[in-house]
Amino acid sequence: MERSFQEGRLLASLAVGLLLVGFLLVAQWRGNASASTQLARQSDQSLGMIIQQLTAENAGLRSEVLRLQVRILEAEREGIDRGEVLNEAAKELNALRILAGLESATGPGVRIVIEDPERVLLPQDFVALVHELRAGGAEAISVNGQRVVADSGFSGENGRVTLDGVDLTRGYKIAALGEPQRLEQSLTLPGGLMSTLVTFPGVTVQIEQAEELHVPEGQVPVFTYGQPVEAQ
Amino acid sequence: MLVLLLALALGVTLGLLTNFSVPAAALTYLGVSVLAAIDACLGGVKAALEHTFDDKVFVSGFLTNTLMAAFIVFVGDRIGVRELYLAAVVAFGLRVFDNLGTVRRLLFSRWGWE
Repeated sequence: MERSFQEGRLLASLAVGLLLVGFLLVAQWRGNASASTQLARQSDQSLGMIIQQLTAENAGLRSEVLRLQVRILEAEREGIDRGEVLNEAAKELNALRILAGLESATGPGVRIVIEDPERVLLPQDFVALVHELRAGGAEAISVNGQRVVADSGFSGENGRVTLDGVDLTRGYKIAALGEPQRLEQSLTLPGGLMSTLVTFPGVTVQIEQAEELHVPEGQVPVFTYGQPVEAQ
Repeated sequence: MLVLLLALALGVTLGLLTNFSVPAAALTYLGVSVLAAIDACLGGVKAALEHTFDDKVFVSGFLTNTLMAAFIVFVGDRIGVRELYLAAVVAFGLRVFDNLGTVRRLLFSRWGWE
């Protein structure tokens, strides 16, 4: 009996077999402990359910990420907006003040000199001139150093032309701020105002582009009847 | 006997030291194979105690049983009967307990406890 266990080949083969068993047991133990194995063990149905759950969870988290990103963007935009709105508002206010004639303005534009020794020009010619200039993008206009503002009006009779009640002497000097090229074009268009004016007897018109013109400030318009409507 | 226990312990230590882990895909195959190997070893011990041990029988049995076990699981997977591995598990499990019982009784008689 003892002899059988002493036999080398018997012991050796059994020992090798047991060694293999031990090794494989540990390897198997390890493999089973890993997460992927846990999944591989599941039936197709429960795998499907797990996938569904994870997909739903994933979708939820993704939408959460998206929501938070949108909030970040909104917050960033808000921060930028405040500065920009202020900037824009300041610019707009400035532009409005110039347009309203509250501020004197300088810049490029055209200077127009109209000679009318025979006093044939009528107030409506000046109205037309101002309209043409505004159509040409004029931002500020003055006639004989007098600012033409929103509520300005030309009138006159018997050869006299007045602007807001002030007599305009002969030799009208008009200054208009804007893009010089465009302003001049708007006046000198074929069939435009210039070609009409120069057909009047004695009337001469000179237009020159200027890099630096000065337009003085006008009177502050006073609203008596009109009231601003509150913005919604 | 002690040599065999030492061999088993050595195998476990080796497994722990090499940090080898079975890939998930091969896990079921190897699991049943391990069961077959345990059965083969117990059968070897039983044969040794009964003086009928033949190393050729043991080695060939060890190899064919482990390979066949893995093959049965593989075939089961391929033909859509994944539960086929249960057949191997039941068969080898029964044999393991059967062999264990025999070895125990043989050891008792050998040590004169009966």
